[in-house]
Amino acid sequence: MFASKIMTTEVITCRPDQPVREVVDLLVAKHLRVIPVVDDNGKLVGSINTLSILNRIVPEYIVTGDLKSVPFAPDIGLLRKHFKALEDGGKQACDIMERNPTKVHEHESLLSVTAALITYDRFEYVLVVDHDDTLLGVISSGDILRALYAASPSDIERV
Amino acid sequence: MAVPAHSATAIFGLPSVWLAVTILLAVYAVIMVEKFNRAVLSLLGACIMVLSGVLTQEQAIHGIDFNTIGLLTGMMVIVAISQKTGMFQYVAIRSAKAVKGEPWGVLTMLSVVTAIFSAFLDNVTTVLLIAPVTLLITDALNIKPYPFLFSEILASNMGGTATLIGDPPNIMIGSQAGLSFYDFLVNLAPIIPVIFVVTMGCIWLIFGRQLHATDEARELIMEFNEHEALKDIPLLKKSLLVLGLVLIGFTCAHGLGLEPATIAMFGAALLLLLQSWEHDLESKNHDFEGVMAEVEWTTILFFVGLFIIVTGAEHTGVIKLLAAELLELTAGDFDNTVAAVLWTSALASALIDNIPFVATMIPMIEDMAPTFGGEEALRPLWWALALGACLGGNGSLIGASANLIVAGFSQRAGHPIAFLTFMKHAFLLMVLSIVISHLYIAIRYL
Repeated sequence: MFASKIMTTEVITCRPDQPVREVVDLLVAKHLRVIPVVDDNGKLVGSINTLSILNRIVPEYIVTGDLKSVPFAPDIGLLRKHFKALEDGGKQACDIMERNPTKVHEHESLLSVTAALITYDRFEYVLVVDHDDTLLGVISSGDILRALYAASPSDIERV
Repeated sequence: MAVPAHSATAIFGLPSVWLAVTILLAVYAVIMVEKFNRAVLSLLGACIMVLSGVLTQEQAIHGIDFNTIGLLTGMMVIVAISQKTGMFQYVAIRSAKAVKGEPWGVLTMLSVVTAIFSAFLDNVTTVLLIAPVTLLITDALNIKPYPFLFSEILASNMGGTATLIGDPPNIMIGSQAGLSFYDFLVNLAPIIPVIFVVTMGCIWLIFGRQLHATDEARELIMEFNEHEALKDIPLLKKSLLVLGLVLIGFTCAHGLGLEPATIAMFGAALLLLLQSWEHDLESKNHDFEGVMAEVEWTTILFFVGLFIIVTGAEHTGVIKLLAAELLELTAGDFDNTVAAVLWTSALASALIDNIPFVATMIPMIEDMAPTFGGEEALRPLWWALALGACLGGNGSLIGASANLIVAGFSQRAGHPIAFLTFMKHAFLLMVLSIVISHLYIAIRYL
């Protein structure tokens, strides 16, 4: 079983120069967790996901772990303020994207894809690319689970 | 018969005096450039002292003040464990609520808390605990954090001056001059509240009058729930027990003929034992390793290397020479020497790391004992060194590690602190604190 067999190929992507507001609209409207950022030639240049957006609006002293947990703090309106600033700040997708999303190649085994997901990523998906970094699809942790669930025992042995 | 080290000609045919001075100055200079880890530099310098023949390995090891190392390490372990309980955040929030979120009140309370914590904990640890909560509170109040952080920097260095364990220079001075926790409490602690109040008065004139928060913002502060900050009540009880025992130990140690390092290391071992008492061996090991990872090995190994480097310089007789030079400058007059030590320490500590400075000054002052009539007579000089070196750290943003840590926080929160902006106010306030210290020493001891 290869990465290309279980990946989702109909992927909603965005361009590097697309305004952040449009990207957020897409994330929310389509219930997405990740939007790969792809240039005009179809090459993967980064990714934007829900967590990386939250990362940008949480105060820096929490992100860096200086203040690991704040169970004592009420909602002080900071997140909304920072979120609005992010949306209205005139920033583009390339300004806020993750520049090194976890990538796998189309021919990698299920074991290899799962390993990449578990060891490298803070997120629940990997992006599948060919040797030119052209985006081919996305594999989420759910895709892997479903593939295992649906596969016949002989299929799994072949893996 | 062994050849005395100071008459030996070391490798490269250089006299050992010049070798030792070159190593010492080179290490200090590269530390100031701040491009390398300072522990690595000091260990490297220490090794060169031995490799080049200035010191034998045995002399080098003998030069390490294990009382300072033990006290530092022990306190770091105790703090690493007790900070996990959230008690410091609890106190900070509690104090902000006590003044109903009124900005100047919050600033004063957080400064007092910082000063008190700094007197008993490492300054760096204190600001690491207080600065993030401060940023959260100022975010809630929707006001600029700079006046708060400025005041906390000054408070941490002032508080640290008050006790034997408050600031590394004091630990070194206490250990090497044989001064007890109680000696520091009686001689240094009384003047610190005076300096603190005067400084806060100036900060009120500079920033305090302009601080203003809306009623809604102040309401938000009252919505903070400090009880939620206390994460681990059993651990809190154990930490408070050990902290209490250690403080009692420090106060009584001298009378019992015990060194502070013994007390701190005992407290550390006891808290390490208690922290995971109920757990199985695997998680006990895991907890132990977690605490070890939080101990600031950079600082500890920096001290180890530094002690060896200074011992090297001492062996060549160069420190004696400097002491004689200073005495000549002050014409052997005690009052002038005290003043010189106080002001030189203050100005030097404002610009360079006060730890290597104090490490060099200690043997120098010890060498003056014969001139001034023995060890006992030197005491005012020790207080001058402690006040100068600790308070001097307030003179600039690079004067103390705690200052740089706060500046780092502030920058990450989007409010960078400029070197000159800070110095504009801080240097004058530092000078003011030294003037007060000078008066205090003159009235009480001279």
